[in-house]
Amino acid sequence: MDKNLSRLKEVEEKFGVRKSRMTAKLDYIQSVTGFLLAIFIMGHIVFESSILVSEEFMYSVTLMFEGYFLFGSAHPEIVSGISAIVFVLFITHAFIAMRKFPSSYKQFKIIREHAKRMQHEDTSLWIVQIVTGFIMFFAGSVHIYMMMTLPSEIGPYQSASRITHDYMWILYSILLVTVIIHAFVGLYRLAIKWGFTEGPNHKVSRKRFKVIMKVMIVAYLVLGFTSLGKYLYIGNTHDFEKEPVYKSKTIVLERH
Amino acid sequence: MRVAYTDVLVVGGGLAGLRCATGVKQRGHDVVLLTLVPPKRSHSAAAQGGMQASLGNCSKGEGDNEDIHFADTIKGSDWGADQDVARMFVNTAPKAIRELAAWGVPWTRVHRGDHQAIINAKKVTLTEKDEAHGLITARDFGGTKKWRTCYTSDGTGHSMLYAMDNKAQEQEITVHERMEAMALIHENGRCYGAVARNLMTGELVAYIAKATSIATGGYGRIYAVSTNAVICQGMGQAIALETGIATLGNMEAIQFHPTAIVPVGILTTEGCRGDGGLLTDVDGYRFMPDYEPEKKELASRDVVSRRMVEHMRKGKGVKSRYGDHLWLDITILGREHIEKNLREVKDICMSFLGIDPAEKPIPVRPTQHYSMGGIRTDYKGESQTLKGLYSCGEAACWDLHGFNRLGGNSVAETVVSGMLQAEHIADYCDTEESEIDISTKLIKEFVDKEQAKLDYLLEPKENAESAYPLRRAMENIMMDKVGIFRNEKDLQDAVDELEQLLIRSRNIEVKHKTLTANPELFNAYRVQRMLKLALCVAKGALERRESRGAHAREDYLERNDKDFLNRTLTSWPDENQTMPTITYEDIDIKSMELPPGFRGYGKDMTITNPESKTRQDEVDKIREELEAKSADRFEIQSAIMEYKSKLPDRYNGKNERLWERLDD
Amino acid sequence: MTNETPRLLKISILRYNPQIPEVKPSVETYELEEGDGMTLFIALNEIRERFDPSLKFDFVCRAGICGSCSMLINGKPTLACRTLTANLDEEINLAPLPLFELIGDLSIHTGNWMRGLNERLEAWIHEEDQKEVDFDRLEEKMEPALAEEIYETDRCIECGCCVAGCGTALMRNDFVGAVGLNKIARFRLDPRDKRDDSDYYDIIGDEDGIFGCMSLMGCEDSCPKELPLQSKLAYLRRKMVVMKDEK
Ligand SMILES: Cc1cc2nc3c(=O)[nH]c(=O)nc-3n(C[C@H](O)[C@H](O)[C@H](O)COP(=O)(O)OP(=O)(O)OC[C@H]3O[C@@H](n4cnc5c(N)ncnc54)[C@H](O)[C@@H]3O)c2cc1C
Ligand code: HEM
Ligand code: HEM
Ligand code: SF4
Ligand code: F3S
Ligand code: FES
Repeated sequence: MDKNLSRLKEVEEKFGVRKSRMTAKLDYIQSVTGFLLAIFIMGHIVFESSILVSEEFMYSVTLMFEGYFLFGSAHPEIVSGISAIVFVLFITHAFIAMRKFPSSYKQFKIIREHAKRMQHEDTSLWIVQIVTGFIMFFAGSVHIYMMMTLPSEIGPYQSASRITHDYMWILYSILLVTVIIHAFVGLYRLAIKWGFTEGPNHKVSRKRFKVIMKVMIVAYLVLGFTSLGKYLYIGNTHDFEKEPVYKSKTIVLERH
Repeated sequence: MRVAYTDVLVVGGGLAGLRCATGVKQRGHDVVLLTLVPPKRSHSAAAQGGMQASLGNCSKGEGDNEDIHFADTIKGSDWGADQDVARMFVNTAPKAIRELAAWGVPWTRVHRGDHQAIINAKKVTLTEKDEAHGLITARDFGGTKKWRTCYTSDGTGHSMLYAMDNKAQEQEITVHERMEAMALIHENGRCYGAVARNLMTGELVAYIAKATSIATGGYGRIYAVSTNAVICQGMGQAIALETGIATLGNMEAIQFHPTAIVPVGILTTEGCRGDGGLLTDVDGYRFMPDYEPEKKELASRDVVSRRMVEHMRKGKGVKSRYGDHLWLDITILGREHIEKNLREVKDICMSFLGIDPAEKPIPVRPTQHYSMGGIRTDYKGESQTLKGLYSCGEAACWDLHGFNRLGGNSVAETVVSGMLQAEHIADYCDTEESEIDISTKLIKEFVDKEQAKLDYLLEPKENAESAYPLRRAMENIMMDKVGIFRNEKDLQDAVDELEQLLIRSRNIEVKHKTLTANPELFNAYRVQRMLKLALCVAKGALERRESRGAHAREDYLERNDKDFLNRTLTSWPDENQTMPTITYEDIDIKSMELPPGFRGYGKDMTITNPESKTRQDEVDKIREELEAKSADRFEIQSAIMEYKSKLPDRYNGKNERLWERLDD
Repeated sequence: MTNETPRLLKISILRYNPQIPEVKPSVETYELEEGDGMTLFIALNEIRERFDPSLKFDFVCRAGICGSCSMLINGKPTLACRTLTANLDEEINLAPLPLFELIGDLSIHTGNWMRGLNERLEAWIHEEDQKEVDFDRLEEKMEPALAEEIYETDRCIECGCCVAGCGTALMRNDFVGAVGLNKIARFRLDPRDKRDDSDYYDIIGDEDGIFGCMSLMGCEDSCPKELPLQSKLAYLRRKMVVMKDEK
């Protein structure tokens, strides 16, 4: 290590130059955006799985997000708005987090060899974050873009149609696996990083957090794929010629 | 040839070397420190027990002061110690602790109120005073009247060494790691530095300095089993010896510890036996009551060690691939007690033996532990015969410990001797006399000579020897014949056999022909030197026909103050000698503050010197007279034995205690 | 200590001497009969004595307290002296720690790396305006629990396992590693060190310091002294993020 560094600091201090506080802020923002995104996704998948209850239920959840129960009429712009916010979080998070990507192939090789040699779970988890993040950067962008621009095309039948006949299920499968893993591994790592695992015995609580992380990943994957299955089922059995848009028996909706 | 110049060269980066270097630097002199390993890896890090200083903060230390610490030290030494030195030491130790506290050592502190302790296998409740809360506390250690051993949890030496090395880094002291001092450069009775070898590249470098201090620690590794680090090979003492001029003092004074684990020789604390652990033999039989019906396992360190050896000699030891051993059984204490009070022991057993001491007995045997002997110096730390050569810490014999050191006194010694010596060296460097005027020719001679020796080791030879077998042979001879029990016949055998080994060692050939980082090479030249030290120990032990402190002769059970109240000095004036030259230095009873008497434990077996009584009467008289005049303890002490003029002014002040406040 | 038939250990060691670069690195395997209570310290010394006296490795205390003997044992960084062969398979792979300068075979130069680190972090007590303390006087008081806590962080033996176990440190050589961050946490706890948070920020408030750490936890899981590195890193991160400049 460079011994002159500490001398350099002396000089800096003499001239009143201090280290940039930006690094601390970026680190914090990365975590906050990651956290918000993870919370969003946890809700997102749950809402998505409302289709498992019934088409009617999913429809009312959709309407809820469009502000129907608040205003008495549907406003898909709200969904666009939420999407925009999520998009900003997504992009901010991604760009800050990408600083942590290995900056060269050499570095990537070092970390990969290291992980292989060490057989160390948390190191491997980080590599998982890098890989899933990388995939999501593309897959997620497409999806969000779609949701931002076509917010009104959400509903039991429209979604099922898109998933089945526009082959979106492929994208969603990839996205589902990556986002669930990335989100829960990310939450675990947040706890480690900021010390939420502390307590009289932090080693034990770290183990506990890891177990919770794994349980959540499995649970959410099951939930997500069952929903996707239900959409595919609807997509393959439903007659879209006859009924492209879901019609509720209880809620009669006038679109604008 | 590379030559480096500096004011002061310190060889050794343990506590002693670092403290010496820091002190010299603070006084404005340049210093270079050489060490085999990074300073923080020095053996000083191993001291767990603690450091003695009479702070007297905890309840069991109340009333403690320099006088009591002094008396404990002298009795412990079996009157072999230099009493001036001991006085300087006890006065400086509290300052040393406080200085280290300011430098960052997180000494364990007194906590107000009640707490439990185990004393003599019994539970007692102690109460600490309010006003002592937050001051440095102390624990009990063998051979002391008061609880005086300050500590930081279970890592005293570690935290001291780290604080000290950090301080040295703050002062930007030049440290050259993996640099082994190979020979001292000297001419006309004056030392000018050392030739050192870079252990990574093999390069020889000459370091030229006004003063050279050797702080290389002990020489325990001449024994087959030792609690010492593997680098404690006595190379500092050996290169001093090889000058032919400097002398070594009391090399036969070697301390053993009864319960180090087998095979690796790591200590298990005395607390195991203190709390009620037992020693058993191959049949699972508890043998100590047979030998020591009264104290059993709790007899003093040296007694227990001797009894264990005796019992193993009767064939009652447990055979193993690594030699005989006995069992230390603490299973009867119960898991709860072990996990709470003997956590360290459990850790050691689990990590180094794979044994759970709550279930199985621990394999132990008596093991070499400490070297009282070393480079003989005066109270300033300077060699009596080679000007400009200094020594401190375990490497030296300025003679604080005599024939037996007290636990906790040695880390204290390293720091205190470093502190005092730094002042003396700095004073010396301030004088005209210290200026150097040696020729580069002389430097070259010394470097060439070392180079030639190394080259010779690589040269193909007939009947070539290799280093390892010689070394193993030496280690075993030392263990079996110059160990805990000594007698004329064994010692004579040992001396003869070691002499043969020394002669054979001159024919060592290193097979791996490279002068760079080559463990075979450094093993070779170190074995040659260790053999010389081993001879000093064995020969000194043979000639000392008495028992004193750790030196126990089966054939001369008495401490003989008539003929042996002296220090053994060994030297090696001619390289071709195969035996050290031995002389003696008398210890003067007439100037003693504490004349020889009964040590206070074991049976009194002393052949007394008539002068002891004369001096005792004298001392008593002075004390009586002054007490009548209501003089304080400092005045009385100074009337009996004046030492303050020898102590550097900086360290001459009185020490404050809770009940002994200094006025402003 | 009786054992039925002792196992035959196959110890493979990555050999290389940078002083002789012509000879390429190679793996050599030695067969050795296992003994009771055998540690890698004993095994390696036996190999050196019986098979190859030129084998380079570093042991000093052989008791797990000096930090000299760290190496990769089956890929994981740890102290060789406190590794019992009984806890390993018959086939044992040894290699020097990565990142540190290689002296030869298993011997590495952790000392100079740590020294550089200490200088960079100024890992010593910074007193106020260098006042002369009078050591004749009573020492300054300290809460017993605080002293204990400082000691707990002071237990690091600079063995380098945390650095070798950290992917970040391997990728980016200027990263201070958990060993360095733990030191700052130690001094921050210590009331004797007069530096404030903005001073510490100047030392570790960047991508080479606390914000470079990616919570890989290789450090905590490799530390032979079982230091609570994760809590220390989290603690520092929190402190550095909430830090406000006084000016
Ligand atoms: C297991 C154990 C526990 C102990 N516990 C206690 C205790 O509780 N209390 C107590 O008071 N004492 C204790 N002691 C004793 C005490 O630790 C030592 O006496 C003391 O630390 C010695 O310090 P030192 O500075 O003299 O030497 P060391 O710390 O041994 O340092 C020697 C230095 O010299 C260097 N060196 C050696 N040879 C050369 C050479 N040729 N060239 C260059 N450099 C060289 C080494 O690299 C090293 O840096 C214990 C000892 C042992 C073995
Ligand atoms: C920006 C706001 C978002 C909205 C409004 C939204 C909306 C939707 C909708 C309506 C569906 C159902 C399928 C469809 O209609 O095509 C869906 C599915 C899905 N979305 Fe989003 N999404 C958003 C953001 C995200 C983000 C950021 C991710 C992850 C990176 C994501 C991951 C998924 C996945 C994995 C599915 C498939 C769900 C399943 O199989 O159950 N979405 N999303
Ligand atoms: C473009 C897509 C994304 C990329 C490239 C990306 C990348 C990363 C990377 C590299 C990290 C590790 C950072 C570190 O170790 O310091 C990370 C952390 C994290 N990510 Fe993402 N991510 C993306 C999307 C998401 C999404 C959609 C979520 C939410 C579900 C999310 C949640 C998290 C969380 C909670 C963390 C931990 C935060 C931290 O360590 O400070 N990320 N991300
Ligand atoms: S923190 Fe642990 S692993 Fe790292 S250097 Fe210190 S002791 Fe070794
Ligand atoms: S392994 Fe490295 S990345 Fe951080 S948590 Fe430990 S320092
Ligand atoms: S040799 Fe000291 S830690 Fe292993």
